[in-house]
Amino acid sequence: MTCSRLMTRFIVLFAGGAGALLPLPAIAVNCGDSDPEALAWMDRMSRSTQQVAYEGVITLQRGDDLQVMQLSHSVKGPAATEQLTRLTGQGAQVIRDEHPLDCIHPGHQLLRLGSELAEGDCGIASHYRLTLAEGERVAGRRTVHITVTPRDMYRYGYELELDRQTALLLKASTVGRGDKILERFQYADVSFADAGARETGVDVVHHAAHPASVTDEKAGLGVAWGLRWVPAGFMATDDVTSDVTRRTYTDGLAVFSVFLERLAATMPSGEGVVRQGSTTSYTRGIQLDGQPILVTVIGEVPVNTARMVADSVSRVR
Amino acid sequence: MSERLRESLSALMDDEANELEVERVLSQIGDNAELRETWVRYHRVRGSLYGQLQSSASLDISSRVMAAITEDQHQDRQGAPASVGERLWRPVASFAVAATVATTVVLGGQQLVQLSGDQYQDRSTYASNVSPVGLVNAVGATPVRASFGTRPVPVLQPATNEAYERLARQRLKHYSQDHAEQAALNTPQGLIPFARVPRISE
Repeated sequence: MTCSRLMTRFIVLFAGGAGALLPLPAIAVNCGDSDPEALAWMDRMSRSTQQVAYEGVITLQRGDDLQVMQLSHSVKGPAATEQLTRLTGQGAQVIRDEHPLDCIHPGHQLLRLGSELAEGDCGIASHYRLTLAEGERVAGRRTVHITVTPRDMYRYGYELELDRQTALLLKASTVGRGDKILERFQYADVSFADAGARETGVDVVHHAAHPASVTDEKAGLGVAWGLRWVPAGFMATDDVTSDVTRRTYTDGLAVFSVFLERLAATMPSGEGVVRQGSTTSYTRGIQLDGQPILVTVIGEVPVNTARMVADSVSRVR
Repeated sequence: MSERLRESLSALMDDEANELEVERVLSQIGDNAELRETWVRYHRVRGSLYGQLQSSASLDISSRVMAAITEDQHQDRQGAPASVGERLWRPVASFAVAATVATTVVLGGQQLVQLSGDQYQDRSTYASNVSPVGLVNAVGATPVRASFGTRPVPVLQPATNEAYERLARQRLKHYSQDHAEQAALNTPQGLIPFARVPRISE
């Protein structure tokens, strides 16, 4: 999906919205047991992530692993620049330069209240039940708490805490079966003013890619393929050719990617699963068009979802 | 195949199905060829994960499932009212037993073998422990039971399982940055998904 296409859509739906500080959409939504106010907060959260300038120190906990990183997000004119620096472990930095504010990727579109809602399509509330409550204090800020409960077994739940003033996501826990916390990130400290990056001893700087500006540099798979099934509510994150080696899907909160590669020889059929925090890596050997292929599904989804997605890989003509 | 049915089957695969879901799958497995095929496919790939015999994938599963169901219904009509726990376990166990040489069977088989050993002759050992008895009873209610005890418990073949798990671990390292790239653009966490990448490269 190119950003110019998205931009057009954005302008149609939210003309004048970018730049102005987070207007609370005045759409009356009625989505069953989901709190309409919680839906509005999700919308604000998606906007603030891009439009608000902030920086802070974040901890990310996955099982026994605890990482600390610094994030800064500055807004200059019609574009935002974001920078993530690891403060523990590998000295690495990720920079996304000048991402246009009016470039709304599918994941964010799914969180925003658009004309679909007025037409009775509940968007994210069709797949999650949202409830709103008073949040605890995070990084010294008052928050609202949104409990996001999946309506089916294909995705995890979330406990989100949003800054009461700016709607920035300050704390998020990914919740698996049996209320097990699989991953938790939270700001230890946050400030909402632009500030320059500080010296952090970085060895590696990675410039985050943008689908619109990147042509797929890798050779295609040589077999046109697609997925016969993805869980309801997931949509592709980018436009890709039919023989790509990767396809990615999102429902606005969860993301999974499917990678296909040719194998030199046929492996006995089987599957392998590795889980790290909320991330599942699932591999399976299949035959596609008579070719031995390895399917890998990587994403923040349950193993079952990965298995079923891998199961639905098929050749398209 | 309906979404609901697919969901039930999926739950059954991970032993997380409730009674309703088990019933749903059981009631349709006889008439729904697609459901049967999916089931067989899932089990074929799952076989190696749990170190089962590869050959189990080639068994004619559907007929054995039907046999198990028939037997089950027969037992239900004749037997005394079963406890909720037993009723819950029996379809799951018999279904699994008939479908492949599944984990339940291996487990159940081992328990049966153990039960015939001296140390477990006294059944009252289990009296206070509901779950093993329930499982043994459940396995005992299926026609497959007879083969255990006369035949050794299947030898596990973890080779493929390990190979695929190694692959899953390798590929996670290899692909996680590509995945994070997409996640960073499509979730409200901004660049934070990159923190999941074991080693970020330029």
